[in-house]
Amino acid sequence: MPQLGESIAEGTIVKWLISQGSSVGRDQPLLEVETDKVALEIPSPAEGVLTEIVVPEGETVPVGTLLARLESSPPAKVINRVGGMVVHLKDQGGKADTHYSPVVRQLAEKHGVDLSKVPGTGSGGRVTKKDVLDCVGHQERQKGKSEVSEAWGSQRDELVPFTPMRKTIAERMIASRRISAHVATFFEADFVNIDKFRRGRSLTYLPFLIKSVTDAISQTPMVNASWEEQGIMIKKSIHIGIAVALADGLLVPVIRDADRKGLQQLAEEVRDLAERARAKRLAPEEVQGGTFTITNHGGLGSLFSTPIIHQPQVAILGMGAVQKRAVVIGEAIGIRPMSYLSLSFDHRVIDGATADRFMGNVKAGLEHFDWEKLL
Amino acid sequence: MTTAMTTQEVTYLEAISQALDEEMERDNRVFMMGEDIGILGGAFKVTEGFLDRYGEWRVLDTPLSESGIVGAAIGAAMMGLRPVVEMQFADFISCAFDQITEVAAKNHYRWGAAVPMVIRAPFGGGVHGGPFHSECPEGWFFHSPGLKLVAPSTPYDAKGLLKAAIRDPNPVIYFEHKFLYRRIKAVLPAEEYIVPIGKADLRRTGTDVSVITYGAMVYVALEAAEILAEDGIELEVIDLRTLAPLDTELVYESVRKTSKAIIVHEDHKTGGIGAEIAARLTEDCFEHLDGPIVRIAAPDTPVPYSAPLEEFFLPKAADVVSAARKLAAY
Amino acid sequence: MEKGNAPRDIKRSDLFQMYYFLRLTRSLEERITALYRQGRIMGGVYTSHGMEAIGVGYASALEKDDIAAPYHRDMGAFLIKGITPGEVIAHYLGRIGGPTKGKDGNVHMGDLNRGVFAFVSHLADNLPVATGAALAFKIRGERRVAITNTGDGGTSRGDFHEAMNFASVRQLPVVFFCCNNQYAYSTPLKWQMAIRDVADRAKAYGMPSEIVDGNDVAAVYMAARRAVAKARAGGGPTFIECKTMRMHGHSEHDAAKYVPRELLEEWKHKDPIVKAEQLLRQLGYGNEESFREVGERVRKEIEIGVEFAEKSLLPEGPEVLEGVFATEEKVLS
Repeated sequence: MPQLGESIAEGTIVKWLISQGSSVGRDQPLLEVETDKVALEIPSPAEGVLTEIVVPEGETVPVGTLLARLESSPPAKVINRVGGMVVHLKDQGGKADTHYSPVVRQLAEKHGVDLSKVPGTGSGGRVTKKDVLDCVGHQERQKGKSEVSEAWGSQRDELVPFTPMRKTIAERMIASRRISAHVATFFEADFVNIDKFRRGRSLTYLPFLIKSVTDAISQTPMVNASWEEQGIMIKKSIHIGIAVALADGLLVPVIRDADRKGLQQLAEEVRDLAERARAKRLAPEEVQGGTFTITNHGGLGSLFSTPIIHQPQVAILGMGAVQKRAVVIGEAIGIRPMSYLSLSFDHRVIDGATADRFMGNVKAGLEHFDWEKLL
Repeated sequence: MTTAMTTQEVTYLEAISQALDEEMERDNRVFMMGEDIGILGGAFKVTEGFLDRYGEWRVLDTPLSESGIVGAAIGAAMMGLRPVVEMQFADFISCAFDQITEVAAKNHYRWGAAVPMVIRAPFGGGVHGGPFHSECPEGWFFHSPGLKLVAPSTPYDAKGLLKAAIRDPNPVIYFEHKFLYRRIKAVLPAEEYIVPIGKADLRRTGTDVSVITYGAMVYVALEAAEILAEDGIELEVIDLRTLAPLDTELVYESVRKTSKAIIVHEDHKTGGIGAEIAARLTEDCFEHLDGPIVRIAAPDTPVPYSAPLEEFFLPKAADVVSAARKLAAY
Repeated sequence: MEKGNAPRDIKRSDLFQMYYFLRLTRSLEERITALYRQGRIMGGVYTSHGMEAIGVGYASALEKDDIAAPYHRDMGAFLIKGITPGEVIAHYLGRIGGPTKGKDGNVHMGDLNRGVFAFVSHLADNLPVATGAALAFKIRGERRVAITNTGDGGTSRGDFHEAMNFASVRQLPVVFFCCNNQYAYSTPLKWQMAIRDVADRAKAYGMPSEIVDGNDVAAVYMAARRAVAKARAGGGPTFIECKTMRMHGHSEHDAAKYVPRELLEEWKHKDPIVKAEQLLRQLGYGNEESFREVGERVRKEIEIGVEFAEKSLLPEGPEVLEGVFATEEKVLS
């Protein structure tokens, strides 16, 4: 399993493009791999015959795992100090493993657990000891409740196995909650000028927000930072991550040096990254290195949110739906396209006043910039 | 040297030296034989100064006769002395194989004659010693009933186990790791202590994977445990300390808890102590296993000399990390 | 014991006692051979037939506190050190009445309390061990001696040379015997060594040596007595080669067809028991009557031994697990 980006620890074999026993040319696509970030075609490292597929489709394996043997000249030799495991993986089917380890069988018997109903989190969907114990714990909690609830894992419920992405999201969200001291602050911005400017142009709100954010960052650099062991690292570059919703998860592709780009270019990059994110065709480096994240949660009407910070960053800005609202303008009441802006920030690094100063600047930018000049 | 050092750190080597000194001082039945242990003070200087202190009939420089020396130690032990024989390098113990396995090991079983004897065997690689100064020959003797084998990894155990070995009524091979000689230091208790033979020790507690090891590999396992802890994988590291008779109790207890086991040793993989532990775990803890038992060991080759070859040969923390990651995720 | 080097210098009772042990050894081994042929003894039977004078001779030169580390042609030495015929038979029969309680067989027996080491099949392994006993005596300043023996075959092993060298370097109170019976199993001397006398080997270690007629119990005894006295006085080790002939096969299942018949014929006339009787008669120490009495005494002792052995129980299977490790009380203090 190749290292597809520094932070990638494992990958799933989506498809073998060359069947076992067939010939493959050098750099010819050999297989498709999905990591928690991207899906990629892996080109063959050499010309030869694919003599053995070690890891079947559907299997998730750590980086560095032997995937297949390719007979080239001289034959590629694989030396592995650690025995047993590769061989075992080879025995597993493509779907969730139906072979249970001794301790799993023993615990299932002891606690009366139907193993076919237990979702496996081990490699290849194998049911682990922990899975059984979790299930037992769940059953016991259910029993503790007075009302008669449906048995855990009943036929009517659907069990959706974790995708690698789901597991990654889960791990990262929990980790971030644990790491940062999350505090939220909310502002409201008037989009009337932006709406005027957008007329006749195919621009979403996002490029405007990015522009306002990068400008506000340059005035309050502390929000574009990370917590390091030695101190707070204030980043000189501004790389804005944009949260993109997918059918089964979420990705955060990064717009590099966003402060140096015009509205038009930002708009194009946002569109391109979002499209490729949904197609899972991002390069690993395109989802790495962000210094600040924006999430546009207003698409389906959400007004406020308290987003979770994307580690190791220190703040994330959420934009709610732009809605026409009655607002007081001077001494009059007018109708204006308004949006709530939410900032989750890490109170270890950023104090409330800093956060509010930053948000004030974002709001000011959105409301007062001369967008023609920033196109 | 007999005065206890309460605050000063001593090396693993000095701990061995202290044990010998204290035992020779305590019990005049204890004497030493070996090549170059007297005038030179030993190839590693473990017995430096002993000749002057105890004289040439308690610190015997011998001819190059490993078999003869061990045979003589057996005879002297049967006559009530407590010989401590030094193999200059554990590799040379092959020359004495016959006396150890055929005479010393079988003596008491056959005709009830106890052989209270210690053979000190400086073993292990990582010192660029090549094929004849780096071996881990414990596997040869592990298979031989009647011998006790110990392999300490810390100065505390080095001293305590050697004292226990000298007082044991059986032949004990004491494997002292050359790589640890001057690299590992500790402050030792001022008071007299021994470390009982047959007791493993928990070097680190953890919940996810049990790592069973000994000798210099203890440090490899601990290094891996540090790395993995950052990712939330907790290794439990067991230092066997005594290889024969094995303390299966602690090993079983740990594996029943974690349900996963990795055995790490510097000896060759095939037929090593790891193979025996793996087999026993499947026999006695099968119902508790939640993954394959993994062995990390040196390849089945002689110990090579050249640095990159030896580097490749010796198990490393990275090997343990990668195996433990796989096993934890299994 | 008295001084002097002629057979006449040996006390009458001592010489007669040696004769008794020659007869006891011969009869005991004949009985064991019979039991073997009856299928009651399993495994190998190794006798000292024709070589009895060596073990009897050297063991007779020892004091009670001295150590003997014999090999398998030394039945007489085991008996003199106090292992009884009954124990020997029980041992061969695998009974718990034997010195190893069934753990070992044939001539592999010993008892620390009676000062006799059990050797192992790897011949010459007992030489360094005997040397170590002598080292213990020297370290403790005890006036004790260790004596050991191996065949011509064993002298080609490294342990022979390592023991001889170390003993000589440290001038230890040990006496090395060699029972040169001319064959190491089937291999004649000429294919074992390129020297005529095994005793020549001692020269390399700066060790004095002697060659004696191994079939003459008085000669063996006197050589041993000289060497033991020298060792006890701090004079260091001695090597004694006993020339003899193995009259049976390597073991009782070996017909030894590789040994020329003429050679056996020649040595038949040098039988150690016949030789001893001649000497006793010559010295006026014995006659047909007293020899017959000895025969009768020996016969009775063997019968008592057989009875003891047969009454002795076989060990229980699970006893196999006992005794791998020693406890502190088993250490000699």
